[in-house]
Amino acid sequence: MKSLRRLIYPYIAWLTVLIIIPFLFIVLATISTFHIFNSYTFRFTFDSLRFLTDPIFLNAFKNSIKFAGITTVICLAVGYPVAYFFANIKSKNKTLYVALLIVPIWSNMIVRIIAWENVFKPVSILNLFNLSFDMIGSDIAIIIAMVSMYLPFMIFPIYAVLDKMDHGYIEASRDLGANSFQSFYKVTLPLSLGGIVSGIIMTLLPAMTAFALPERIGGGTTILLGNLIEKEIFRGSFSTAATVSFVVMIVMLGFFMLIVRFDKEGETLL
Amino acid sequence: MKKNLYGSTLQVVLTIFTFAIVYLPILVIILISIHGSQYNYDSFKLTFRWYQEIINDQQLVDAIIVTLQIALLATTISTILGTAFAIGIHSLKKKNRVRMMVLNNVPVVNPDIVTGIMLFIIFRFFRMTFGFPTMLLAHIFFTLPFVILSVLPKLKQLDPNLFDAALDLGATKFQAIVRVIIPSIKIGMIAGALIAFTMSIDDFIISYFMKQGEFHNVSTLIYSRLAKRQISPTVFAYNSLVVVLTMGLMILFNRSNQTQKKVRG
Repeated sequence: MKSLRRLIYPYIAWLTVLIIIPFLFIVLATISTFHIFNSYTFRFTFDSLRFLTDPIFLNAFKNSIKFAGITTVICLAVGYPVAYFFANIKSKNKTLYVALLIVPIWSNMIVRIIAWENVFKPVSILNLFNLSFDMIGSDIAIIIAMVSMYLPFMIFPIYAVLDKMDHGYIEASRDLGANSFQSFYKVTLPLSLGGIVSGIIMTLLPAMTAFALPERIGGGTTILLGNLIEKEIFRGSFSTAATVSFVVMIVMLGFFMLIVRFDKEGETLL
Repeated sequence: MKKNLYGSTLQVVLTIFTFAIVYLPILVIILISIHGSQYNYDSFKLTFRWYQEIINDQQLVDAIIVTLQIALLATTISTILGTAFAIGIHSLKKKNRVRMMVLNNVPVVNPDIVTGIMLFIIFRFFRMTFGFPTMLLAHIFFTLPFVILSVLPKLKQLDPNLFDAALDLGATKFQAIVRVIIPSIKIGMIAGALIAFTMSIDDFIISYFMKQGEFHNVSTLIYSRLAKRQISPTVFAYNSLVVVLTMGLMILFNRSNQTQKKVRG
């Protein structure tokens, strides 16, 4: 099948134009006066890096870490046992149960965010049940909404790994005298690490960079990195938007190295 | 194997919690879509008025058409190109294959907002007009890697000699791909196409960076109405229809799968 290698050349060209070049532009915009919107005189400057010590940036960075971190921890703590439960169901409807977690994702994300906004507003459809919350702008509200959005993305990769796992390993460890805790801790958990890493990435990165959710549920006062990027780029402030994106990309690349260690070809990403 | 009773109770409780927190917004959406008043929540009045009004909401209808066109086109193109690229990647030696897959997975792991910014930058750089073509390109861009990811495992299960055998028997390369490789990786292609369609139809963040004036897909339209405080329950009605339809399809699909299994014994 060697003769088929030529098929990848257009893909390499495509990825170069759409990933590598924009990435270089972002790096360039971070360390120089490079600007895509208008003609420019090019010189290196680290002015935009100064934005990284600006309280606006530091606050957004802190918020991103806080909300995405808490959300990810909750999703992992809830998602792992749920994935484990699904993987061990002995029912012919097993795939249907997992698929039922996909249905809400088909519902538009923005509409789901508005639904949560409604839940947390004092005057809302919940008044029909004599319920009323006033939680817009609170940390709890943002975290609940984030868990609701991203929990399925933690469950799917872990489920995929657990479902494929050979049960012979577990039985072997039990035969060799491990108790159920030991065989989970020494066999099941290490074998599912790839799924855990993918799940964490699928939850943490979108949560860190969400902008519609914190804007609506946070009542416009809670700023995350995503809100900052969006605001800066549409204000025409290209270099600050690029600098913030650069920070996000560094975080992303860090996690990417982790994936490559566990799963070279990204088989757990689906 | 002995069951750990505490462990399995915890699992059941957490599973119920998961369904509750994931489905609560869906229930709220459906409830708003069948409640008669937009502002009065004293008592429930059943209505299907908002469903009828979807057709009168021209802007929403246009956005639905754009969303479907983009999703169908992007899915078709991504599935064809993704399959071809996956075949190419599969025929590489291990070291290069891993390199290609690392590059392939960048858009998968990349947060949507960064992907949006990257595409925004490059399209601006080439002085492209934003609108349908840029949105379509963007959707092909972020769905392609998923098609490749779902086709590749099927290629690995394929006997590499089959392709060479077809060539020896006189097939052209193209014939060998279409008649030998594609039938064996069909399931991966269908799975990839489904993922691509789902991602495209629901995308907000990347599409948001491709916006131009009054050109909208459903997500960006709703978001822009939100800013202008013009959300009417028709949006909720449309969304409820999508959810009920997909759920119905899924249950039907599951049932027909099971009867097939029974027939085959």
